[in-house]
Formats: sequence, C-alpha cells, structure tokens
Amino acid sequence: MNKQSILVVDDEKNIRMTMMHALETLNFSIITAVNGEEALQILKENPVDLVFLDLKLPGMNGMEVLQQIKSNWPNTRTIIITAHATVEHAVEAMKYGAVDFIQKPFSIKEIRELATSVINRQVPNESNTVDYFSLVSLTRQKINEQKFVEANEAIKAAIAANPNDPEAYNLLGAILEIKGDWLTAQKFYRAALDLDPTYKPAAINLERTTSWNRDGQVNLGTENYAFTTSENGTHKGKKND
Amino acid sequence: MISRYILIVGCGRLGSHLANQLSRAGNAVVVIDIDESRFSKLSPEFSGFRIEGDATQIAVLQSAKIKQADALIATAHEDNVNMMVSQVAKKIFGVPKVLARIFDPKHEEILSRLGIETICPTAAAASMFLHAIDTEHTSEKEAKT
Repeated sequence: MNKQSILVVDDEKNIRMTMMHALETLNFSIITAVNGEEALQILKENPVDLVFLDLKLPGMNGMEVLQQIKSNWPNTRTIIITAHATVEHAVEAMKYGAVDFIQKPFSIKEIRELATSVINRQVPNESNTVDYFSLVSLTRQKINEQKFVEANEAIKAAIAANPNDPEAYNLLGAILEIKGDWLTAQKFYRAALDLDPTYKPAAINLERTTSWNRDGQVNLGTENYAFTTSENGTHKGKKND
Repeated sequence: MISRYILIVGCGRLGSHLANQLSRAGNAVVVIDIDESRFSKLSPEFSGFRIEGDATQIAVLQSAKIKQADALIATAHEDNVNMMVSQVAKKIFGVPKVLARIFDPKHEEILSRLGIETICPTAAAASMFLHAIDTEHTSEKEAKT
C-alpha cells in the first residue's frame, strides 16, 4: 500500500506544528498550507488522501475550500478543525461533505486516532453494499451494546453516505450526549431540526437536554431502542421487543 | 517518546516557563489565563493551545478537554485559585497528576491532606536559606578552631 498523504491547512503555526509532530510518526507523509489558496494549489499539483482543514482562514474561508475540494477531488476526505465555541460551523461543514471534525485544543493521541480511523474508514459506494439505512441501524445496535466508538464510526459513515437526513444527525447528537458532551450534542440535534423541522426525536432530545432536568431517555428515532442517561454518569441501553 | 496532554493554569513567569519547556519536549500543552496579554510570555516555538478564560469555571476547564488531561499544573498567582482548580481537577475530573504552586505553607498542609501534590516556593526558599546559614555557621566555627 502506498504511503498515505495528509494535508494540514491552518493559519496558526502552533496547530500545524502539533499536527506534524503527531502524524509524522505514523508514517504518513505530511504537507502543510497556511491558507486556502495555497492548499488548493498543493492539491492541484499532488492530490492527498486526507485534509485537516481549519474553517477560520485568512482570505478564502474554510467552507469555500471544502466545497472546492469536494467538487474537484471527491476521493479526498476532509476533517474540520474547529474551536470549542464554533462547533455549529463543523456541523454545517459535515452537510457539505466533511467526514469528521476535531475540537481545539486536542492531544497528540486524539489526532492520531482520528487520522487512522478516518483513513481506515470505508467509503460507502456501490462496491461495498453498506448503504445509509443499514449504517443507521448498525449505529443504533452499537449504541445499544454500549460500543460507542463503533457507533461513532458507523454514524459518520452514514452522514457521508447521505448528509441530508435528520436521523443521522440526531443519532450523532445522541452519541455525544451519552458521552457527556451536552453542548455539542445540542448542536447536532439543532442540525437535524434545520434539515427537517418536523423531525420529532431531535425536537424531543433538544428539549430535554435544554431543560432543567436533562437526564432521561435519549430518543434514538425508533420505538425499538431506548437509552437512559442519569446524573451519576451511568447509563443503560434497552431493546424493547 | 510519550506525549502527554497537560493543562497549565496561569501564564505568568512560572506558567509560561513550564509551558514553553513542556511544549518543546513534545507534549500537547494547553495554557489557560484570564488575561490574554499574558500569552505574550510564551515563546515563538510554543506549539500548544491558549485559552482565555477563568479556570475556576468548570465550562472553561471543559473547553480545555480536562477529562483527557494526563496532568494539570496550577500556577495562578493566588493560592485560592490554585487550591480550587486543583481540587476540581482531582475530585471532579479525576486528572491523574495534579500539581499546585502554593505560597502559604499553611495552605500546603490542607491540600496535602486532600491528596494534591504541592510545591511551595516559600517553604523551599526557607529551607535553602536555613541550609545555607547552617553550613556557613559551621564552616566559620571550623575555621576558628
């Protein structure tokens, strides 16, 4: 197998340095760019497998760069780098075809795990029979088995296969909520509602997580599965027959 | 080389010095300070992250991903801030290694009872002075005899 190549696009030197440091040892070849124009120039000369893209760039903004990458190099996968306060933009970017996102600050371990998991993640296409609906049901099953890493993988692949269905965003929100990241979870529930304001499960989850008593049953969009969070951080999955 | 994820609270003389050293050694370092201008003390080679905010607020610590941290060093200039942040890190987020800089030796005693490691510049300086004065005293005596 060829050595996988990664392009890091960020105007902050410290981020580029951290990324270089984290990814070099994994035997990836790393290229960096300080802005969108430079990134597109590099891609024209030699396409890469994976791009880490900051959305806040000087000049051409990250969202435009993402759209250019998507239309000109459809096989290149993009991971969004985002600040804690601007996760909404990452949600937006996933609708435009970004495969995943990472919030600043991040550890070397996080970067390595994410890069490896995205590179190894299968791209859903005709040749492998994984379709959106089976990925969504696989996600529910993994949540039920409390295998959240696998659930996370499955749902990201589902969003990549069909970025316009509210169900997947609701499930991604549910995974984040179960892991304790309420704020990011709410953003994905809102993203689901943006796509379809009548999508009930996301509305219910959003209302519960923004209420005073936020613990309770996470709505996974079907009657067959339910998941309960509680204050002391324990949670249990349940399959209703 | 093992790279750790380290949070440093306070970017004064001590905080920034530690941040620069730990970053240079290849760790992922996050510095939190309430005053953005203090980040100017970080060296140009510092490759970590800066967060402007009050580290006594849980939300600020969460935005620094404290749950993943291998270590937290509290170097704010107020003992009370360091005591509070280090207790939150230890008790609520279970950070494996928590170190606090504490000026008042009395405070040091309280924290050590809570299982938090402290470094007290006052006590350290005092013992060095005592050691210096003792050795000087004895060497003078020896010279006279």
